[in-house]
Amino acid sequence: METLTFEYNATRTIHQRSHVGVVGSGDLEVLLEPSSNGQAQITIRTGSEGFGDAWKAVLDRFFLVNDIAAKVTINDFGATPGVVNLRLAQALEVSQDVPNHQK
Amino acid sequence: MSPITKNSLIELNARDRVKAVLDEGSFRELLGPFDGLESPHLPPQGIVPQSDDGVVIGRGQIDGEEAVVISIEGSFQGGGIGEVSGAKIAGSLELALRDNKKGIKTLPVMLFDTGGVRLQEANYGLLSISEIGAAVIALRQHVPVVGVIPGNVGCFGGMSITAGLFSHLIMTKGARFGLNGPEVIEQEAGIEEFDSSDRPLIWGTIGGTQRFSTGFVDELVDDDVTEIRKAVQQAFFDKGKEINKTEQVDFYRHFLSQIDPSKPIDPQTIRELWKQVRNADIPKEVDVHSFPELDMPNSRGRAWFKALSGIEEPKGNIPSVLYGDSILGKERVRYISVVPNPYNRFPRARHGEVGLDEGWAIAKCVRDAVEKDKNGDPRAIVAIVDVPSQAYGYREELLGIHFALAAAVDSYSTARLAGHPVISLIVGNAISGAFLAHGYQSNRILALNDDGVNVHAMSKQSAARITRRSIRDLEEATRRVPAMAYDVTSYSSLGALYELIDGIDADTPGEQDIQTIKDKLTDAIVDTRSRPHDLSNRLLTKEAINGGRTASIKTRKLLEQQWNSIHMIYSS
Repeated sequence: METLTFEYNATRTIHQRSHVGVVGSGDLEVLLEPSSNGQAQITIRTGSEGFGDAWKAVLDRFFLVNDIAAKVTINDFGATPGVVNLRLAQALEVSQDVPNHQK
Repeated sequence: MSPITKNSLIELNARDRVKAVLDEGSFRELLGPFDGLESPHLPPQGIVPQSDDGVVIGRGQIDGEEAVVISIEGSFQGGGIGEVSGAKIAGSLELALRDNKKGIKTLPVMLFDTGGVRLQEANYGLLSISEIGAAVIALRQHVPVVGVIPGNVGCFGGMSITAGLFSHLIMTKGARFGLNGPEVIEQEAGIEEFDSSDRPLIWGTIGGTQRFSTGFVDELVDDDVTEIRKAVQQAFFDKGKEINKTEQVDFYRHFLSQIDPSKPIDPQTIRELWKQVRNADIPKEVDVHSFPELDMPNSRGRAWFKALSGIEEPKGNIPSVLYGDSILGKERVRYISVVPNPYNRFPRARHGEVGLDEGWAIAKCVRDAVEKDKNGDPRAIVAIVDVPSQAYGYREELLGIHFALAAAVDSYSTARLAGHPVISLIVGNAISGAFLAHGYQSNRILALNDDGVNVHAMSKQSAARITRRSIRDLEEATRRVPAMAYDVTSYSSLGALYELIDGIDADTPGEQDIQTIKDKLTDAIVDTRSRPHDLSNRLLTKEAINGGRTASIKTRKLLEQQWNSIHMIYSS
């Protein structure tokens, strides 16, 4: 198991925390929580060691396009970059839903 | 395989399965992904944990009634039960029990998708499963406990024993339900016994259709959300005071007595036999052994049975399960011991394993004591534990060995709830399903501090194969994680032992050894008489509090805080 961390400057906020995915074969779980420090802080734990560059490439691109201030926790079980990108987009979508009680 | 349906439950993850079973919009999660309760034991072994530890607890309503739905995520570590996930399940069942006892009706549902114990947290998994079973049996006295086995993993290992205790089981054709997974049987008994790559053979033996056709599950459903949701609702609506399968000891003993293990058997014959026996008169006693009890080998289980009970020529319902009554100080005690019988009619149970006949025979002699003492003065029951494993075999799976073991679990637990002090004395091996069935439902567990005393969830060979490690890697991992170790000293650090007894000759006990153990047993019995009948004491020992069960205790505490929080919001 390897732990990786990344940080990006952010300007946008998210409405609520979100959770998607499972730590199952070829998949990962993503936890997204609103943050007030103007940064996206990402912590990844992955069972597949030595893929730091691949993670950086996927995350650089995602957080360039979506510069959200958030605490991001990723538990990975060998997801491919495509799956990672999909799960991040899904987590972001859920986090931007307006909570029921504010509708 | 199940046909592809538009609205599949199997394709949903554990959380969405809970939502599918609960009334729409009523789902409220307890100890969810943001509560930070992941496994503390996986990262030190280099395994990525999951934020909910693979178990989702949902509160809400079923058909307008308060409910708790427990769902196991089969995609995370094969749905294996570890310390946190186990405590989430046991804790929520314990809270449902508390509410039902108080008159707050709460319907319990479990969505199984599990290989059983998570081998990386071995003894925590086994311990948790014994506590889950205890809660199910106590809860069943107040409300039906309903289980669904949708697949894809199915339901195996210790959790198949748990499922055997449920009031009502719903299963799909695509799911599998058995004690030992095909790979484990192949590992333990050879490919001639069970070929783990033969899919038609596997589904024909432990698949939904066969299980339903032989009465081991109550209902067969398609993999369809609407159908499964209706089946769950109907299960609560229908269930009155029905006798549980694991309480039908005479029926199943008679059913098994009709089997001749020296001949080949097949799934179709068993279906027909089951139908036949279901409609027949059931005798109270069965004769399943034709061998004279000659030259039975000595074993720790036999030696300690004789030493403690003073019975020189022990008798039992079958030669491999000894039982007898004697007086210990002021206490009447029934001693029970499972021993090797090299002539056992089931070849896979000849070395002291708990097999089909053994499970039901234990249930018979424990329930006999409960029945005889029902008007007061419940005698103590002492389980002498020296069991290498459950029996691994094709016949065992086909004939429902998980129900035989569940029957033993049920009987000990029922005795405990009826006020019998139930004490275990581990004198040798206490492994896996065999220990769950014979010894793990006790109020107090005592063990001899001896190299030959081992407590674990699976043999080293099988555990290595299933977790894809070499035996050396496995042994290396056990050095860092006490719950994975096989020795009793490591086990004692988890706090489940009432006492670890030093300086006893475990193989050939002398007079002083016997007297010491008798005194310890007397202490344990007296201590039990004045305490609650549940298993809560295991979380209150010095070792449990000082680190042995940290996550188990914390999980239960947080669960209790969140259990009713919605009501608090309403009232404020």
